[in-house]
Formats: sequence, C-alpha cells, structure tokens
Amino acid sequence: MAQVKLEHVTKRYDDVTAVDDMNLNIRDGEFVCLVGPSGCGKSTTMETIAGLTIPTEGEVWIGDREVTNLPPKDRGIAMVFQNIALFPHMDVYDNISFGLRLRDYPKDEIDKRVERASDIVQLEEMLERMPDEMSGGQRQRVAIARAIVRQPDVFLMDEPLANLDAKLRVHMRTELQRLHKELDTTIVYVTHDQAEAMTMSDRIAVIDGGELQQIDPPLVCYNEPANLFVAGFIGSPSMNFVNGTVTDGQIESKNFSVAFDPAMVDGIGPGDDVTVGIRPEDVYPVDESGGLAHPTAEIHARSDVLEPMGDEIFAYLLLGDGDTSMSQEAATDDQLLMSIEPDSNMQEEDDVSVVLDRRKIHLFDDATGDAITHGLVDVTGGDESTGAPAETDD
Amino acid sequence: MAAETTQQEEASGPLQRWTQRAIQNPERIYRGLFYAAMVFFMFTTLFPFYWLLVLAITPEGQLLGGSYLPEIDLFGASATFPLPVPQGFNPAAFIEVFDQLPFHLYMLNSFALAISTTVVVLIVASLAGYVFGRLDFPGRAFLMLGILAISYFPPAAFVVPLFEAFTGNAPVVIPFTSIPLFTPPRLLNSPGSMVMPFSALFMPLSVFILTTFYGQIPDGLEDAARVEGTTRLGALFRVIMPLSAPGVATAAVLTFIAVYNEYFFSSIMATSPEAQNWSPIVGGILSFQTQYTTQFNLMGAASIVAVLPVVVLVIIAQERIVSGLTAGALKE
Repeated sequence: MAQVKLEHVTKRYDDVTAVDDMNLNIRDGEFVCLVGPSGCGKSTTMETIAGLTIPTEGEVWIGDREVTNLPPKDRGIAMVFQNIALFPHMDVYDNISFGLRLRDYPKDEIDKRVERASDIVQLEEMLERMPDEMSGGQRQRVAIARAIVRQPDVFLMDEPLANLDAKLRVHMRTELQRLHKELDTTIVYVTHDQAEAMTMSDRIAVIDGGELQQIDPPLVCYNEPANLFVAGFIGSPSMNFVNGTVTDGQIESKNFSVAFDPAMVDGIGPGDDVTVGIRPEDVYPVDESGGLAHPTAEIHARSDVLEPMGDEIFAYLLLGDGDTSMSQEAATDDQLLMSIEPDSNMQEEDDVSVVLDRRKIHLFDDATGDAITHGLVDVTGGDESTGAPAETDD
Repeated sequence: MAAETTQQEEASGPLQRWTQRAIQNPERIYRGLFYAAMVFFMFTTLFPFYWLLVLAITPEGQLLGGSYLPEIDLFGASATFPLPVPQGFNPAAFIEVFDQLPFHLYMLNSFALAISTTVVVLIVASLAGYVFGRLDFPGRAFLMLGILAISYFPPAAFVVPLFEAFTGNAPVVIPFTSIPLFTPPRLLNSPGSMVMPFSALFMPLSVFILTTFYGQIPDGLEDAARVEGTTRLGALFRVIMPLSAPGVATAAVLTFIAVYNEYFFSSIMATSPEAQNWSPIVGGILSFQTQYTTQFNLMGAASIVAVLPVVVLVIIAQERIVSGLTAGALKE
C-alpha cells in the first residue's frame, strides 16, 4: 500500500507533448480515476507510473521511493490492461502465478495465494482452462486475479472494462468496487467513460491535452467544475453553454438575461464576456418551479426534440428565433437542453416557458475557460449548495 | 436457351463435351491438376532415395555389372521394366558402412555442429529479431538492409580469409596496413572453425524469420510480462518466444538442416576428412571413394543412414509447427 506522486511529469514524443507538467498526488488506499477524451494523455500518465514509459522530465514516486527510472518489475505495482493481455500459452493457474513464480515463491505459498485470488474473482473452477476457452468477462477476472495475487502496493487499471459488453461492464464495475473495499489498496484507473469514473472513484482526475484540469471527488467535479472543459466533460448529457456579457448586476445573453449577486462573483466587471453554464436538470418548466428559491425570469422557448429515457425525458429547446439548421457553433446560444419528469405532457413543437435555478448557474471566463462562480446567489449558511432542493423543505 | 444448349451438346464430339463440363465445373480440373503435380513432385523427390536404396543393397561386385533395368518376359513379348531394381541383395552394406569407417562419429560431428550452430543462431537471432521487430530506433531500416546485403555475399568469398585467420600462424592486420591487431588461436580441425562461420552465414535468414514473428506479438503481452516481473529479456524468452513457436521452429529446422548437410566450409576447415578432425557426414561419405575404388553401394547406404535422423526431425517439427499455427493463440 502506498501513495503515488507525480511531480512535474512531462512526456514528449518527437514533436508531440503527450503529458505536460503533470502533478498528481494520490493518497494511500485511494481509488483515483484518470478520465479524459481519447489521446488526452491519460494512458501515457499511467504508463509513466507503471514504468513502461520513462518521462522526459519530472519524477514519479510510489510510497516513499523515487521510482522514475526503475523498471516496472521493481515498482511494486500490478496492472490490468485494456486488451486483457493474458499469456495465451499458459492456463489460468500459470497466468495468475506468473509473477509469483518469477519471484521464486515456495510452491505452497503460490498455491495458497492463487486459491485466494481466484476465490475473490470467483474463478476457482477454471484454473486449468486456457485463456481462449474463456469468455471476455472471465478473462478479465483472470487478469484481475493476476494483479491481486502479488499483493502490490498500487493497482493500475488501463480501461479494463472497455472491451466488455455494456451489461458485463456494469457488473464488473460493482465487482471492482467490492474488490477495492476488500483490499484497500491504492488504485489508479484510466477510463474515458465518465460513468465509470463517477461511480467508482474517490477522486477523479480530469485530463485534457496532457494537462491535469481538475482532481476532486466526483460530485465536486460535477457541481463545481474548475473550468469549461471539466464542466462539458463530466455529466451526460453535457452542460448547456451560452455566451453572455456582464452588465450591471446582470448577465445578458442573446435570448435571456440573469441577475447575479455581485458578492458571489469576483473579478469581472461590466462588459466582460463570460460563458454561462447550466446543467439540464437545473432547467425547470415554469409550472414546476414553485419550489425554487432563486429562479430566473421566464425564458420562452419552443420544444424541438424529446428523448424519453424512461426515468426522465431530455427536451431540446429552441430559444428566440432558433433555427435547427444552423451550425453547431452558432446554434449553442439558441439551444437549451433540459431534463423533465417522465410523466410530463410536453410535446414536440410546443411553446414552453422555463426558468433556470440561479443557485446552479456556472460562470466561466471566456478568455481562460476557468470557472468564476458556481452559483449566482449567495447560499452560504443554507445547506443547499450540494444537496437536493427537497432538503430545504424538511 | 436450355434447349439450344442441349442441342449443341448433342451435336459436339466427346472432347467438346469434356471441355464444356470442365468449364462448368472447374473443381474437377483443379483436383486433377493437383494430383498430377503431386505425383510429379513425389516422383522427383522419392526417386533419388529409391535409387540410393537400389545401389546400397546391390553387392559390390555387381555394381558395374550391367543394366539395372531388367528385361521381363511378358507372355512371349519381351519388355524393359521401367524402374531400376537391385542386382542382388546385400543388406550387409548398412553394417559395412560402420565397419569400414567410424561413420557414426561423422554423424555425431554433424549433429554436434548443427545443434550448436542452431543454438547460437536462435539466441543471437532472437535478440536481433526482438530489436528489429519490436523497437523503433533510428537506422533500423539501414541495419536490416545491411544484414540483407551481407547474406548476398557468396560464402566462398569468406573461405580464404577465414582459413588464414583460423590457422593462427600470423596476426590479423588492419586492412591495407601491416598493423597487427591480434593473433587468433588455431581453430582448424575444431568445431569453433565451423560453428562460427556457419552461424554467421545462416544468421540473416533466421533474423528475418524471427523479426516477422516477434513483431506480431501484441505490445500488451510484453508490457504485462514486464509489469509481472520480467525484464525485457525475460519477456522475450518467457512470453514472446513461446508464442512465436512456429517461427522459432522454422528458423531452427532450416538452420539445423543447412548445417547438417554443409560440406564446403567443413571440408576446408577440417584439413583431412577424418572424424577426429570434425569432418562432417559428407566428408565421411566421400571417404568411401579412394584413389582406386569407389564403393557406390557403401556411399548409398551411408547417405540413407545419414538422412534418416533429419527425416525424423522434420516430421516431429512439422507437427509442432502445424499445432502452433492451429492453436491461434495470438488472438487477443
């Protein structure tokens, strides 16, 4: 068990910088997900922790040892790979015990450990099978058993569930969480699937363009994204973004304006350009907005497309003279995505009026993309900043 | 349309009908051609062995005693039997081979040379194959080209300088000067003088075979092995090589057979064709030819004895190669 620390790690390939001055501090026993779009450098970051890639600059620490130039075998890590990477010429027992045999453990110790590891991943009956006789989920469990059998200080998992089908993925997700509870080992987990990141991790490290954007617990990343990228990346469907301009006590956008509490907003003044962000679930139809303490003025819109998901409906609204034929870029100011109750009687092409929850409106600096505030009214003292609005009624 | 065709068929001769059928059903023709080619190759491959066998069991006195194609009497009409048959029956030639010369020692020499060369080639070519197949470094293509170029040199070009070096009389000098570098040990009549040039000569082919095979092993498997606790070298020998078994077997068999049959270098590096000078099988076979006599029957018998181990080896290796290919273990 150990903490993992990256200090100013940079990895350059010829003219591409895959990882740019990464600083990460992963605590002992923590489950941290590295998320980001493809090619953002999350896998490279993991490879530098594993020792499969040597960073161009910077230091890697595992526990209290500096391991930057140590080969993978001396780092006290185990890894689960995206393509599973079982040795096809060995049966399950040999695969799991490979690392132990290399380290010359006594036979009965190996047997005991393999038994325990295969017990944890429920593979006791299959120790004599060859990898090509197993299903995808079973293979992945073998790979996990191979990793836990050595009782490493740190687990590295590189999109271990990416190649599984959707149902199995959800199942393995729970199993991994149970495993983490049981072993209490530091886990670094790479994924591009934010659902995995949200559900499993203690903290999420959002990476884009080789740079760390934010590292925080999932709900903090969700509720208080550090910048535009995190706000857009975390959450599905994505947050609405509207361009706005600051005036006196108001933020004007093309189709609506919202008042803000100057005490909440630092460092911007009239005339500044900002991006207004609002999550779909924080947009309410006017007739359901009774419980809102701080709604905005009514915004008139026309419903465009409805996407019923079962437990909720995503409604795409067109604001003002919004035209669906416009390009994605130009249309953002005229579009608003909201989620509504599944029993709503809203139809496509309806005229609707909506309000936004001002406590949940995010402002981002247009120039830097950094967040300015995560709420336009002061709610300190109340307990509503992260909780559901319902809590205030109790 | 159909009626027209049948009319045509009826009108045409047997050749035309046959052609028609062949066009409609080419499978038959392909199969026929396949068998024809098979028979041809079987005949050209097996006939020399048969001829060796005929010579081997013909008693020495009968060797030059006339035609091997007997006249046979076919109910009054005489004809020539189309295959040669032995003139007499003398299986003792197979024992005589070991009596007259220590032929088993020649075989042992060839075996030892072939095995040690194969081991050297496999180890060095594996390292080279790993580097060429799995690592990206500047100058890789150029180096590969260099290996290819060297493999084009005729082996004869190396014989004289190597012989001189292995004699160990004079120091090796820097080319075009008389500055001595070192005096090599006398290696003539020792396995060193043969294994070294053989390894160098047969290396390029193995390097190419192994480069291709090692290059196909997914990176993930090597990474997994390294994380599990091997070095890069350990991953090569524990994971990459076993998974490339068909390629390794191919390289090994080709090298082994080439060295086992080698004569040119060994005949020169062994100063006389004697078993204690590490003369190989061919040297032994040729020793049945003396200044005054040529014992064709013993040469034939010796050749057959010498071939048998290779036949066994190839059959075993072929099974391995086929099983390695059908396992399809490389799919992730």
